[in-house]
Amino acid sequence: MPSRRRTLLKVIILGDSGVGKTSLMNQYVNKKFSNQYKATIGADFLTKEVQFEDRLFTLQIWDTAGQERFQSLGVAFYRGADCCVLVYDVNSMKSFDNLNNWREEFLIQASPSDPENFPFVVLGNKIDVDGGNSRVVSEKKARAWCASKGNIPYFETSAKEGINVEEAFQCIAKNALKTGEEEEIYLPDTIDVGTSSQPRSTGCEC
Amino acid sequence: MADVVEDEEKWLAAGVAGLQQNAFYMHRALDSNNLRDALKYSAQMLSELRTSKLSPHKYYALYMRAFDELRKLEMFFKEEARRGCSIIDLYELVQHAGNILPRLYLLCTVGSVYIKSKEAPAKDVLKDLVEMCRGIQHPVRGLFLRSYLAQVSRDKLPDIGSEYEGDADTVMDAVEFVLQNFTEMNKLWVRMQHQGPAREKEKREKERSELRDLVGKNLHVLGQIEGVDLEMYKDVVLPRVLEQVVNCKDELAQYYLMDCIIQVFPDEYHLQTLDVLLGACPQLQPTVDIKTVLSRLMERLSNYAASSIDALPEFLQVEAFSKLNNAIGKVIEAQVDMPVLGVITLYSSLLTFTLHVHPDRLDYADQVLGACVKKLSGKEKLEDSKATKQIVSLLSAPLEKYNDIVIALKLSNYPCIMEYLDSETNKVMATVIIQSIMKNKTRISAADKVEALFELIKGLIKDLDGTVHDEVDEDDFKEEQNSVARLIQMLYNDDVEEMFKIICTVRKHILTGGPKRLPFTIPPLVFSSLKLVRQLQGQDENPFGEEESTTPKKIFQLLNQTVETLSNVPAPELALRLYLQCAEAANDCDLEPVAYEFFTQAYILYEEEISDSRAQVTAIHLIIGTLQRMHVFGVENRDTLTHKATGYSAKLLKKPDQCRAVYVCSHLFWVDDQENIKDGERVLLCLKRALRIANAAQQMANAARGSTGSVTLFVEILNKYLYFFEKGNPQITVAAVQSLIELITTEMQSDSSTPDPAADAFLASTLRYIEFQKQKGGAIGEKYDSIKV
Repeated sequence: MPSRRRTLLKVIILGDSGVGKTSLMNQYVNKKFSNQYKATIGADFLTKEVQFEDRLFTLQIWDTAGQERFQSLGVAFYRGADCCVLVYDVNSMKSFDNLNNWREEFLIQASPSDPENFPFVVLGNKIDVDGGNSRVVSEKKARAWCASKGNIPYFETSAKEGINVEEAFQCIAKNALKTGEEEEIYLPDTIDVGTSSQPRSTGCEC
Repeated sequence: MADVVEDEEKWLAAGVAGLQQNAFYMHRALDSNNLRDALKYSAQMLSELRTSKLSPHKYYALYMRAFDELRKLEMFFKEEARRGCSIIDLYELVQHAGNILPRLYLLCTVGSVYIKSKEAPAKDVLKDLVEMCRGIQHPVRGLFLRSYLAQVSRDKLPDIGSEYEGDADTVMDAVEFVLQNFTEMNKLWVRMQHQGPAREKEKREKERSELRDLVGKNLHVLGQIEGVDLEMYKDVVLPRVLEQVVNCKDELAQYYLMDCIIQVFPDEYHLQTLDVLLGACPQLQPTVDIKTVLSRLMERLSNYAASSIDALPEFLQVEAFSKLNNAIGKVIEAQVDMPVLGVITLYSSLLTFTLHVHPDRLDYADQVLGACVKKLSGKEKLEDSKATKQIVSLLSAPLEKYNDIVIALKLSNYPCIMEYLDSETNKVMATVIIQSIMKNKTRISAADKVEALFELIKGLIKDLDGTVHDEVDEDDFKEEQNSVARLIQMLYNDDVEEMFKIICTVRKHILTGGPKRLPFTIPPLVFSSLKLVRQLQGQDENPFGEEESTTPKKIFQLLNQTVETLSNVPAPELALRLYLQCAEAANDCDLEPVAYEFFTQAYILYEEEISDSRAQVTAIHLIIGTLQRMHVFGVENRDTLTHKATGYSAKLLKKPDQCRAVYVCSHLFWVDDQENIKDGERVLLCLKRALRIANAAQQMANAARGSTGSVTLFVEILNKYLYFFEKGNPQITVAAVQSLIELITTEMQSDSSTPDPAADAFLASTLRYIEFQKQKGGAIGEKYDSIKV
């Protein structure tokens, strides 16, 4: 029975608009990249099977809208996440500064049982842009921030060139697996199949 | 309201509890591979989604739980299929669920596995599912069900390169499926507003707004389909989506979906289909906030242009600017009631766009401004604070882009827009302009540019029609005028003739400023002119001998008139200082009559306008100081001027002031570097007179307080004695110095003297100086040796 429970790992990717969340997911899952910017609406996920310690897992990777106006239904999908990936663009200081907001927002909304030890992974994306010349967030600065937040693993990636994407997601999967987030165990008080099979009345018959 | 929220919490909790309970049994069934029970309990679990009591947010929370549980069921189905269970049978089997909503969720779940199994073409299964979902016509439930379908089919679309790619028109099948789902969802969403009582309309609109991303998600999926290339986008996707958008005639849907289209599809596609996209705008409901939609489109395209130089030819090729310009014109025309803020916002975005995309086409920028002027004309000055703010940002855009006001000055419509600003905003804008010039150290070196510039910033230069100034904060006013002063200092041209023109232009404008501004603006103009005078001095006068050319004389004439304007303020103290500055400059140019004229003006002011005793003291010292440095005067003129100066000195109100001014006058008769001014006798006369006044001062103090005053004045005079003694003035003898020292010592020892530590120290250090000079030896030492202390 535990075998089924732990074969699905849920990962949420967060970060400012335009940092490359969708591109990272597409590069990892489909090995494809497009230079075109296309906004994400709501939340979208792709799955990928990963082999880990001789076991097969399904990684459910949730890509999210970076623009708030495309998140009209809220973030109920955070629930049950096993790992949260925070992405920023190394060429944008604002996107780095906002990591903190994203992290806190996630901890508040997802309310994991052990927020101190909930696994995050930080990705500094777009290292390929302009040969690194337009970079404004140094690796040192990013690593220092990660260290200050409980040694969050950090990767410098390029979704375009596929640099470090595989490694990053390996780490994400490993951390998702490690997490203590067990599903809330549900035990029915009384077993009364008779009543529960009667659906409560609703407005219509569909 | 609180009750509703509370009730909702209760309903959600109940829903979650029911869901969990059934999920529990579903898990048990899954663990024991009991397909029938698994289906039974999962259907019961999904029945919780049949509720109508939850708001979209809460429903979403419940949906997500069911969604997570369905993933487990999906995995079970996959295992079943692997174990040899026929997926087609499963697809049939789940349709036995009693209620339609659970049945369709289960069908979508199996359908996803079905496609994965490839036992049937993806397109057939998808077509079947999207048709079946028509069974749910309740908007909220239908939208969530269809969004479930969109999500589980998301990675199974027969896209090119996908493993589900079928034969020929495979991408088309994928697109058709998503478009159909989108259309159905949009219908559900739009229809929702007509359901339920009218009094709950507001609540319903809020709920609809929360649901919007479920509909928009389909467009996101379309954007992600790789097979949707430009051609297909142009021929199928965009027309079909727009058709739906336009025909639904719903304000909320139209606004949101237009925004989605702009955001989820790439820039290149927008550029190549601008006609179509923009063509839809005037067809939207008149209440749709088109300005925001178009602004976002232009913002996107501006960023695209900024991000890659390669993109620029594309913009030119499709004539993006004129298309946008036309579209905006049409929208403004169509939406008669569009507030002026909307109009300016639109033009602001267009201006930003053209500045980014066509930085070399100033005519485009001017065209945008011109269109704006046209729209503003016929309206009164703007009162709307948001609109004026938007105008400031509109007018600031060219400055920020070019960092050079000179370029903005080429925009003929720029000043026209400023006309529509109220005087307050006009000032704000003028300040922005000056700050830009300061920041970029912009050189404005032509008189016509200066003319245009001052025309632009006239809000700071003069009172605009009937503005009341009582409310203007004093500090703000000073700040503004100081910035104008700084600006005047920055206008410069090496070419003398042009510089003179610049000065005349500035003068013309600032003279309109009125008495409050002149004290701030006249001084920089005077100094700017004096700088030009100095520049001329460095050159041969009249290099070409032209009659019309600028000469120092001409400038001084202008200066005289310029300073004179201060008399209306009035600001006699400032004017006096400026006259003296001019006199000194005339002195350096060897223009005796001019210098004399300036002194005369200064004296007139002193006699007629400066009445405050402190101001008189300051003025007389300035006069003496300047006069001392003058070398241009002949004996007669100089005598007249020094005579007057000493006369003024002796007539100051307070004795100590008189005393000091008179002993300072001694310097007018003995100038170190001028051989002809060494009149020892008159020096002595001054000093003696100063001593007499010091005496009188002391007696007055005695009479008033019963004790003699301080000896400070005497020590000061002693220092003057020593100065002239050292300079070799034969009238200042050892005896005179010595008797003065004795006088001071006696005074200090008298019973009636007031102890004054400062005076004691002053005397002590003066005596120490004498000692020091004695020990120096040589000629000076010898001179001092005879003084006995």
